[in-house]
Amino acid sequence: MSSRKKVLLKVNKKFSASYKATIGADFLTKEVLVDDRLVTMQLWDTAGQERFQSLGVAFYRGADCCVLVYDVNNSKSFDTLDSWRDEFLIQASPMDPESFPFVVIGNKIDVEESKRMISTKRAMAFCQSKGGIPYFETSAKEATNVDQAFEVIARQALAQEEAGDFNSDFPETIPINLENDRDGCAC
Amino acid sequence: MASPQSPPSPSASFYDMSDDEEGEYNTIRHTTSGKGVKLLYTKSKVYVHPTPSAKDNIPGFIALVQQKPSRASISTTDHPATSSSSQTIAASNLLLTWVPESSLGDAHDIYVKVDLSDSSSPPKRSYLIYSLLVRPPSIGWWFGSLIINTRAGESFPALFFHDSECQSTILQRKKLARESFDPFGDGGGMFWGGDEVLRWLKRYVSVVRSGAEPSIYLIEPDEADKTSFGPKPTTEKVKKMLEGDNKQETAGGSKTSPGAKRDAGMDPMTKALKEARWNFLEKLSQVTTFTRRTAQAVADNPKVPPQVRRLMKNPEVQTLQEEFDSARLYLARWAMGIAEQSERERNQRIWTAKDVLEMEESAVGEFEILDMEAGNLSLSERRKPVTLKEWNGWFDAKSGRLQITPDEVKERIFHGGLHPDDGVRKEAWLFLLGVHEWNSTKEERLASINSRRDEYIRLKGGWWERMVEGHSTPEEAEWWREQKNRIEKDVHRTDRNIEVFAGEDIPHPDPDSPFAEVGTNVHLEQMKDMLLTYNEYNKDLGYVQGMSDLLAPIYAVMQDDAVAFWAFVNFMERMERNFLRDQSGMRLQLLTLDHLVQLMDPKLYLHLQSADSTNFFFFFRMLLVWFKREFEWLDVLRLWESLWTDWLSSNFHLFIALAILEKHRDVIMEHLKRFDEVLKYVNELSGTIDLQTTLVRAEALFRRFERTVQTIDKKHNFPTPSVRQRKPEQQPSSPAGPSQNGAAASSSGTDKGKQSVGDAVAQGIGAEKEKVISPELRNLLSRKVEKLDKAEVRAHGGGVGT
Repeated sequence: MSSRKKVLLKVNKKFSASYKATIGADFLTKEVLVDDRLVTMQLWDTAGQERFQSLGVAFYRGADCCVLVYDVNNSKSFDTLDSWRDEFLIQASPMDPESFPFVVIGNKIDVEESKRMISTKRAMAFCQSKGGIPYFETSAKEATNVDQAFEVIARQALAQEEAGDFNSDFPETIPINLENDRDGCAC
Repeated sequence: MASPQSPPSPSASFYDMSDDEEGEYNTIRHTTSGKGVKLLYTKSKVYVHPTPSAKDNIPGFIALVQQKPSRASISTTDHPATSSSSQTIAASNLLLTWVPESSLGDAHDIYVKVDLSDSSSPPKRSYLIYSLLVRPPSIGWWFGSLIINTRAGESFPALFFHDSECQSTILQRKKLARESFDPFGDGGGMFWGGDEVLRWLKRYVSVVRSGAEPSIYLIEPDEADKTSFGPKPTTEKVKKMLEGDNKQETAGGSKTSPGAKRDAGMDPMTKALKEARWNFLEKLSQVTTFTRRTAQAVADNPKVPPQVRRLMKNPEVQTLQEEFDSARLYLARWAMGIAEQSERERNQRIWTAKDVLEMEESAVGEFEILDMEAGNLSLSERRKPVTLKEWNGWFDAKSGRLQITPDEVKERIFHGGLHPDDGVRKEAWLFLLGVHEWNSTKEERLASINSRRDEYIRLKGGWWERMVEGHSTPEEAEWWREQKNRIEKDVHRTDRNIEVFAGEDIPHPDPDSPFAEVGTNVHLEQMKDMLLTYNEYNKDLGYVQGMSDLLAPIYAVMQDDAVAFWAFVNFMERMERNFLRDQSGMRLQLLTLDHLVQLMDPKLYLHLQSADSTNFFFFFRMLLVWFKREFEWLDVLRLWESLWTDWLSSNFHLFIALAILEKHRDVIMEHLKRFDEVLKYVNELSGTIDLQTTLVRAEALFRRFERTVQTIDKKHNFPTPSVRQRKPEQQPSSPAGPSQNGAAASSSGTDKGKQSVGDAVAQGIGAEKEKVISPELRNLLSRKVEKLDKAEVRAHGGGVGT
């Protein structure tokens, strides 16, 4: 059994050779096995600068989970989490914003402790105040905790589906108009 | 999976060792059965010609595949007795297959069937190849062909080798021509694809040319076969054909045989497979869903003749498809995407009188012959790059004043581009970007450059001082700090693969920078300074992501910060609209593209509509930074200088976009049904687009667009539209603005414009009477660059000046 889920995530590609600022939007896919279910996640990545977000509606729509990632060594990135969350809820307008699954990730825990700006406690408090958002601390660089985070993300996305997914038609049941297909097939 | 009674046998390790230096890159194992196949050779662009019409030709790959038993079940009894040589592969484990490009993409349903029917034994309905009928290319048979005859007496459809499209064959031909010092290199035995297939086969099996019928090659013939088709004494031609290939070394041609040097190596499909397996693995699983529908579509396509369908359903093919994992599916998509869709290409690239006559019959003219008479230059001359010598020849030696018209220069650059290596770009770009006036003298240019240098230093000093002394308000200080970080971050990830930006040979000048620990180089620092200066110079907008992509080529060509800065400033005047806070400029361009596709290809438009893709977001990146991320570096330079000429339209980049879209329209219409699929597909065209043909196609599309507008205007009985004429002399840069154009202009306002075209489409494709040229579309006929005025930038720029 498999399931496809759309997850919004600013993907950190810093450690790949083709690392460039994202323009427009793109996504990667990642497969995670959750209790014998293969969940294929689309990890969407959109441009970072705020002004490009106004085009993001199309990319946000149909998301099954939203992952907010900040840098534990950068307090500004933590401070903006709330506005990113709001922005997402406005753009994606899920049917039940209160129960829409989020996951918060504090990344770059590989950096030396003295540079750390946001304590685990503080982050947890924030997540608690937003209705108990699952929280992870990771190092993408050293692959610490990343798999665990993905598993929870996948579970959250699945839970969203079971709770009466408003978007369940997004990936699977776009009607395919065969007549149209034949018409359009020029070769 | 492993049967308990078959202990790990020595042959298992033997098998592993028998893999060549490629390791197991080419071996794809089925995830559950562990059965594997190894791709020994593959050649692309091998066609089946099911009907006499070229447009029904089906492109595919011919491949030689070795079946490998599952790792666990290998036992000595499975293994060929003749395993004396480590290169030995039992002929029965070899499969020669042909796979259509389109079906490689998927066949999920078929996989499942195979999966259920069998898991460990070789395909039951295996066809034993009896012989090959080989026809090299010759007069009258432009494409060489190969027919596979089975022992059961069946013949598969002829496979035609379209060598002119096959990269490996082309390369090999070039190499052979070089080696033999014979530019024509075909003294009766021209190298072609089928030739190579025979050579692959000879490495593994016995291939004997029939004496009675020289075009027949027998595969693993037995004595009876040999008697009836026995070989004759080798003729010169055969000798040449078999050069280096000893018929005795049938089962396992040595890699060092002289024949090996003629091997073209793997086709792009295989090469990319290797890379893809390691680099793009994450992306692959998504791609499988793109292509899920492909197999059925191919099988259901009534145009696919029964023989081909049988060929596709023949177990060999299925096995191949089954065993190759998603990497292969990805590659199929990839191969299909970059495949020259030959019919479309022919329409756009080769112009014969017959084509023109056929096409001219339709009212709008689906076809456009390019204007051949530009000055005295032939088409090929016009497409040659302008060298520094040619460039200098256009200027008066003494005064340094241009002696031909700017339009003549622009036309040459538009079609030919500038020479990449001789330094002409450094000169010419300054004219194209308006740093130099076209009618200036050498002296005037020198003076202007000097004053601009001073000005740059002054501007740079401005922010530098402020950085040291502090800012007037905390908000400004915060904005500045953010911008500085953003610029630094982006510069460190812009075009680092280009030589000037690659090095990290100096320590970071600012110990407080987040990049203090990584090295930098003088060019990266210049980039940062230029962008910070621009941020200061155009405070209403400020630096926005994407700008570093626009500056890098200019700086790399100029390698002079002050000069590059001003060239960039001028470039930004036209690009500013892309970066506004409200994104209005990008929206307008996406909307214009929307109208353009509605008008030019309504069928494709309807498809995109059904795929929820008419926001055209999938072109966002291309339009924002002018295809900088889609083409290789040198192609970007070439493209931009064409676009800067504004020769046909100041929005010619939208025709480039249309050309890219049109090239892939068949694939998109057949396979991509959802927004995310379209986006992914278009994003991944990056690095696969051929610039030269794209430019030609874009120009043809522009001509067609121009004519369509004229035709529609005539039908609407509009006053003669201010469509610019083709002859450059008669082209005052008239804006052809909407306000001059009667009824169409009254529907100004973007939404309404969209409505009018949309209605036309809704009312039926081809209902030309209903087609209206929106103001956005009419604007495409203008050569005048639209620039925002200062007030507009202040209102929408989102910089600190707002």
